[in-house]
Amino acid sequence: MVKYILKRLLFIFVTLWIIVTCTFFMMKQLPGTPFDAERFSIMTPAQQESMLEMYGLNDPVPVQYVKYIGNILHGDLGTSFSYVNQDVGSVIAGRLKPSALIGLQAVLIGLAIGLVLGILAAWKHNSGIDYLTMILAVLGVSVPNFVAAALLQYYIGLKWGILPIGFWTSWNCSVLPSIALSFSATAMVARFMRTEMLDVLDQDYIVTARAKGISQMQVLMRHAVKNSILPVVTILGPIVVNLMTGSLAVENIYSIPGIGSLFVDCIKANDYPVIMGITIFYAAFYMLVVLLVDLVYSMIDPRIRLTKGKED
Amino acid sequence: MLKKRFTAFLLTLALAATAIPAGAAEASDQVLSVAVNAEIKTLVPWAASEENAFLVTNQAQEGLFRMDAENKPQPALCDTYEVSDDKLTYTFHLRDGIKWSNGDPITAGDFVFSWLKQMSAEATNGYSFIMTDYIVNGQEYSEGTAEADTVGVKALDDQTLEVQLKNPTPYFTNLCTMIMFFPVDEAFYESVGDQYALAPDSMVYSGPFTITEYDPAVGATFVKNDNYWDKDNVQISNAKVRVMKDAAAAFNAYQAGELSYVKLDSANVIANQNSEEFSQTIDFRSTYIQFNLTDPVVGNVNMRQAISHAIEREALTGFILADGSAPGTGLIADGMAGNAEGTFRELNGDVTSFDVDLAKEYYDKAVAELGSAPAEVKLLVADDSVSKSVATFLQSELDKNLGLKVAIDTKTVQGRSELMDSNNYQFAVTAWGADYDDAMTYLDLWTNGTPYRGNYTNDDYNALIADAKSQTDDAVRLDDMLQAEKLLVADDAVVAPIFHRGSAALTKSNVKNLIIHPIGVPMEFKYAYFE
Repeated sequence: MVKYILKRLLFIFVTLWIIVTCTFFMMKQLPGTPFDAERFSIMTPAQQESMLEMYGLNDPVPVQYVKYIGNILHGDLGTSFSYVNQDVGSVIAGRLKPSALIGLQAVLIGLAIGLVLGILAAWKHNSGIDYLTMILAVLGVSVPNFVAAALLQYYIGLKWGILPIGFWTSWNCSVLPSIALSFSATAMVARFMRTEMLDVLDQDYIVTARAKGISQMQVLMRHAVKNSILPVVTILGPIVVNLMTGSLAVENIYSIPGIGSLFVDCIKANDYPVIMGITIFYAAFYMLVVLLVDLVYSMIDPRIRLTKGKED
Repeated sequence: MLKKRFTAFLLTLALAATAIPAGAAEASDQVLSVAVNAEIKTLVPWAASEENAFLVTNQAQEGLFRMDAENKPQPALCDTYEVSDDKLTYTFHLRDGIKWSNGDPITAGDFVFSWLKQMSAEATNGYSFIMTDYIVNGQEYSEGTAEADTVGVKALDDQTLEVQLKNPTPYFTNLCTMIMFFPVDEAFYESVGDQYALAPDSMVYSGPFTITEYDPAVGATFVKNDNYWDKDNVQISNAKVRVMKDAAAAFNAYQAGELSYVKLDSANVIANQNSEEFSQTIDFRSTYIQFNLTDPVVGNVNMRQAISHAIEREALTGFILADGSAPGTGLIADGMAGNAEGTFRELNGDVTSFDVDLAKEYYDKAVAELGSAPAEVKLLVADDSVSKSVATFLQSELDKNLGLKVAIDTKTVQGRSELMDSNNYQFAVTAWGADYDDAMTYLDLWTNGTPYRGNYTNDDYNALIADAKSQTDDAVRLDDMLQAEKLLVADDAVVAPIFHRGSAALTKSNVKNLIIHPIGVPMEFKYAYFE
């Protein structure tokens, strides 16, 4: 097991290096410079030179690349161009916290509601609750989160005044954005759970269990749910990454200092060190979550072996 | 087991929740709160180039002068000043007993320190020109060929600052209201080094307010500065600048009472223009078409005239933008300084206009000179929503009024600038915001003949600008500039002005005297009060 994890970590490291390299050279192809063209053009040559020097942009791109790789191996992500004199690591860390909190809450809401709805829909197949769940699932997937965010802000925040309409001053501020983000997760979890569970409920061992006279609840919890949760675990990886890495639309609507808007802003501003920093973070985070999901598989379903068993 | 896991979950959540700053308790008295639509990325004076940074800095810092409600400079940290007869030497006397928020005295040396920084190679905001164009040896210092002690800004003693100018500059005191001219406490700066201005406690303040919280993506929180010389006239004790990128959300926040002032997007202008809280200002910012004079098609002056006269600017500002913008019948924005008789715009009248017949006449002439009608021309625009709707409007106007087909080439702002810099465009929609309240802020741009400015080189034009820059007679100077604008827009049609950006806003009825400037520092909290 340890050997397996180490092997995966090595792959992650190599993949990261490939991603960093590709992103670095593609990023350099972005039109423009990190500087406001109109302002830059009226600077004196000495100032232009000093700016390029300060940001290490007067070296040829391959030299910049080698220097950059050297720096990140020392854990130095560099200094942001647009957030003057601020360390990229601390800029990203500061912006990650709100996004991570909102994303985590959205995942929990999505899981809780999605699982309950999915289980009920399958258990009461072709009933009112089943149709309701399917309608909610279609809505949740097809209504974009910014529409939900704007509606929640308008009604719950402004009209009824129950929760803050935005900003980032207390925990209350995180509730509406979490709900807005959770809709798609709820819908996905509910649909996957329902489909898989319908399949499981048709299996012979469920009929056997019922025939043995076990209570309905035990059939449901012990046999049905446990055996249909695997697809949900599969999609949980992408959902977690998706929600915890920030959403530009939801962050803008609720004025939340999150990482989604940072990523878009830094690309627009050609802030190279921040673009690279976020790319590294996203990629590493995604791969680690996928690894974690794989590990969880083997715990839930003994049929899945990560390493070859001795008896094989 | 399950219970344990659940507890662990709760703990994680609680931990994550501490990521939120502990409920910043709202003070019992009222908070003046305004929204800005973009991040306040830096407050380092010689690195900040964005309007929102100017807004924040202007409340927390102060220079020799501060703008009043009429956009005229009034003595601030400077008590009195004298100008020599040749109008080249300014001597400023600082007020007695002025202090930084940490109690240090504000000295003439603090001005010299920050001004030299702004002129040095360290300045990355692109605003050095605003000093080096005027101050003796500023340019040389900036280029590294002159020593600091030869630059024309000197502290004669702690309270006296002497500035030597290259040319008479009637608007020099206007310039002194801009944040680049504000002092920086040298002793404090040396103690924090490159951490200066990154956090509230890595700055000291000379203005009406001090900053207690600052986050580029959240905004800034202000409290009244008890060390401010004019604190008795500051009535607001708490204020906020909040970053709200979504205009609809800002409008909701205003309605919920979270904001005292909000700028409206066009969707909300029409619905609110009869409200008592509604107000409108025209910014000193002009959006115009820049023609590339080396292009075979629009290099033809009659073609440029035809395009400029074929645009019904009122239709654009009235129905499409509908945000309070004014039609651009000249390059210099409405309201910019002229003389005692009127604004620059009033004195010079319309230098271009909408006239279909005239436009067609020019077009036919251009087609005759070119030999054939152009199949298509390419209009370069940036990818923001306003530029895109302007481009679509221009496309339909030119097709309808001239039969000229326009292809729209949309690029990011950076991409557009790069194409213009490399002379790779026919004509482009671009904009310039005045740096100071004088026509020279625009007219000076077309003297260098760069591709970005359409490769325009006209000796008559350059002579007018050169004369205006060295004139001691303000009337002659103004006349030079009036002629220069006519030459640039009416005669040579190097640019076709389209509109001057307006902004419409709502201000809560209990907020009085919140002054909005169309230029430089956007807003003054100092004079505001609650009723």
